[in-house]
Amino acid sequence: MKNLYRPIESVIEDIKAETPNIATYRFRPKEPISFAAGQFVELTVPGVGEAPFTPSSNPNVTDTIEITIMSVGTVTEALTKMKVGDTVGLRGPYGNGYNMADFEGKEILIMGGGVGLAPLRSLILALFDDVEKYKKISIRYGARTPGDIIYKELLPEWAKMKNTEVLQTIDQPHPDWKGTVGVVTVLLDDLPLLTTVDVGKLPFNPETAVACVCGPPIMLKFVNVALLDKGFKPENIYHSMERNMSCGLGKCGHCMMGEFYICKDGPVMTAAQIAEFDDPF
Amino acid sequence: MGGDRPDVLGGPRSASQEKSYTPFQARGLARMKEVFIGSENLLKLIGRWAKGHRVYVPVTFDIMNNEDTPDYDLVKDEVPETMKLDGAAPAHSAKPFIFYPREVVANYPSSDAEALVEAPSTIVVGPRGCDVRGLAKFDKVYWSTKHFTEEYDDPFVIEKRENTYIVSIECTAAKETCFCTMVGGKPYATEGFDLNLAPLGTGFIVTVGSDKGETLLSDSDDLLREVTSEHKSERDRNRASVTEAVDRQNAQFAVDQPYDKRDLAASEDAWAYVTQNCVGCGACNRVCPTCTCFLLVDQRAKGGYERSRNWDTCLSIGYARTGGGGNSRPALAQRLENRLRCKFEYSRDRYSLVTCTGCGRCIDACMGNIDMRESIKHVVTEKAKA
Ligand SMILES: Cc1cc2nc3c(=O)[nH]c(=O)nc-3n(C[C@H](O)[C@H](O)[C@H](O)COP(=O)(O)OP(=O)(O)OC[C@H]3O[C@@H](n4cnc5c(N)ncnc54)[C@H](O)[C@@H]3O)c2cc1C
Ligand code: SF4
Ligand code: SF4
Ligand code: FES
Repeated sequence: MKNLYRPIESVIEDIKAETPNIATYRFRPKEPISFAAGQFVELTVPGVGEAPFTPSSNPNVTDTIEITIMSVGTVTEALTKMKVGDTVGLRGPYGNGYNMADFEGKEILIMGGGVGLAPLRSLILALFDDVEKYKKISIRYGARTPGDIIYKELLPEWAKMKNTEVLQTIDQPHPDWKGTVGVVTVLLDDLPLLTTVDVGKLPFNPETAVACVCGPPIMLKFVNVALLDKGFKPENIYHSMERNMSCGLGKCGHCMMGEFYICKDGPVMTAAQIAEFDDPF
Repeated sequence: MGGDRPDVLGGPRSASQEKSYTPFQARGLARMKEVFIGSENLLKLIGRWAKGHRVYVPVTFDIMNNEDTPDYDLVKDEVPETMKLDGAAPAHSAKPFIFYPREVVANYPSSDAEALVEAPSTIVVGPRGCDVRGLAKFDKVYWSTKHFTEEYDDPFVIEKRENTYIVSIECTAAKETCFCTMVGGKPYATEGFDLNLAPLGTGFIVTVGSDKGETLLSDSDDLLREVTSEHKSERDRNRASVTEAVDRQNAQFAVDQPYDKRDLAASEDAWAYVTQNCVGCGACNRVCPTCTCFLLVDQRAKGGYERSRNWDTCLSIGYARTGGGGNSRPALAQRLENRLRCKFEYSRDRYSLVTCTGCGRCIDACMGNIDMRESIKHVVTEKAKA
């Protein structure tokens, strides 16, 4: 029986600063870890503890894993003290991931807020590997200030991909920012309420389009309401749920939400699955 | 949801529900074998077991005025005189024997999983019907491939389960806080044990519940006798009288109006009311035979680092806190609500188990005198009014 709790030694190969408190780390685990877009891993900072993260690298690359991490507390701060060549631990992958077979032939709306774009990057890269299969990929990203934007060099590259558009906003006006201003839901303004217009004229057919959302809880809450208002089907809205997690294995209980274990039934949950909860986010 | 309702306190259980409650797999025994053992011979038998296994028995401790509540102690050279096999349940359930309060589960950077698992052959004499039922939750959570779900097997709990013999004992008395019969249980185990002892005036009926249990009797034919119909009727009388006593002491907590498990989704006010005296200490979680939750903690250790698994409590504020200060259950009332709904609703949805076994230990342990029978009655009644 394998030991579920033992982390796999992984060497930090590269660290790239994204913002003052977010960096993308590339790890090389001693045993390859292959994951599906949306699944997560537990990262160990030796002697400090573990925290769950969704890799931001392409799931089709298995010898290294990249994770984009915001420093917010004990484990993530300890990680900022580590250098290229140091060893951390990884175990996983855990959770369900996106059912990408279901996305084929559809329009895909990807909504990220802040560091929430990081988990979506592995999905975006996986989609790009088969870009022909999807009708449209629309990436909509909100950050607080221009300084908080992650993947600054990648976003323009993504916009050049076939069938792909990238829309961005920042929360407050800023001298360095010429683009859209407002919280991330303003990026849904081109989708009026379904009842008022002819579906054929919309950038999306909300009846069939898929939305993948990741960001802070407050963002999920408002984006969920907005997407439902605009006619998206609850079963086509995929949220990345954040819960406290210790084991990632469906045992420790920390991630429970009613009868769901977010680490097993999630972290990707559809709006339909969580509809029974008053405040799931 | 008519047929779906009797999950919570006091409701009648339909025949179909009784049947669907099968936490343990049949263990290959066509019919449970029964023998009689005299009291003196049982002492000898326990003595024999102690030569090859760690044997724990309930003993009374003469501390405070608590001498009536036994707790487990290790049998060393001889069976202690203070052993108490009859009466009501021991202070602790069988949980600590298969799920240690703290256990090192990994060493890293390098680790050998096998070497870490500590599971000496152990015989626990004394778990009650409620305690045996409680083990079903552990099997579901930690040993789930046994139940054909996709979860992962946990070597630490599984090896202890495999190397632990459960010798259950039928209750001959109930504590004031016992309510097993309100949650679909009985004051005696009907399945899930290796051996079961029914205390009689002159000895015990021993029921064999598994092949593993049978091995505990294999070299002791000299100590065993045939069970007589008098023995059986004495057992039946005891079962009936304890069942009746438990029913009687809980009549006041039954909820009259029709209700189902969703009726625990009561208002914030209803839950705040029952939480008034809770201080969030987590004693209820720790003594509970079905609280399976834990926290992994990493520390420096010789030659590297170690990861331990520690009992955790869902009543603590940090339990659901997420990075950056979020918390899905910031209020204590939300956390107590979560604990009780986990027992009656979430575990049922998830594992088809009502995971309150009615052992009453959370009531015994609570410094705030919170009695979950009253709590459930209050929230169900308030929900019905709303
Ligand atoms: C599926 C998933 C994917 C994620 N992906 C990403 C990602 O790609 N990038 C990213 O940046 N973040 C991601 N996160 C969030 C990330 O896991 C958290 O930011 C991280 O756990 C913070 O860990 P920390 O130790 O630094 O923070 P802390 O706030 O120090 O601690 C985190 C946890 O430890 C507990 N804790 C801390 N102090 C105490 C205390 N005193 N008492 C009790 N408990 C305490 C808290 O309950 C908290 O949940 C993801 C989260 C999930 C669930
Ligand atoms: S034992 Fe009582 S006071 Fe302690 S957490 Fe449980 S209900 Fe609250
Ligand atoms: S919730 Fe209380 S009464 Fe029910 S099994 Fe747990 S400790 Fe026993
Ligand atoms: S993180 Fe432990 S059960 Fe989900």
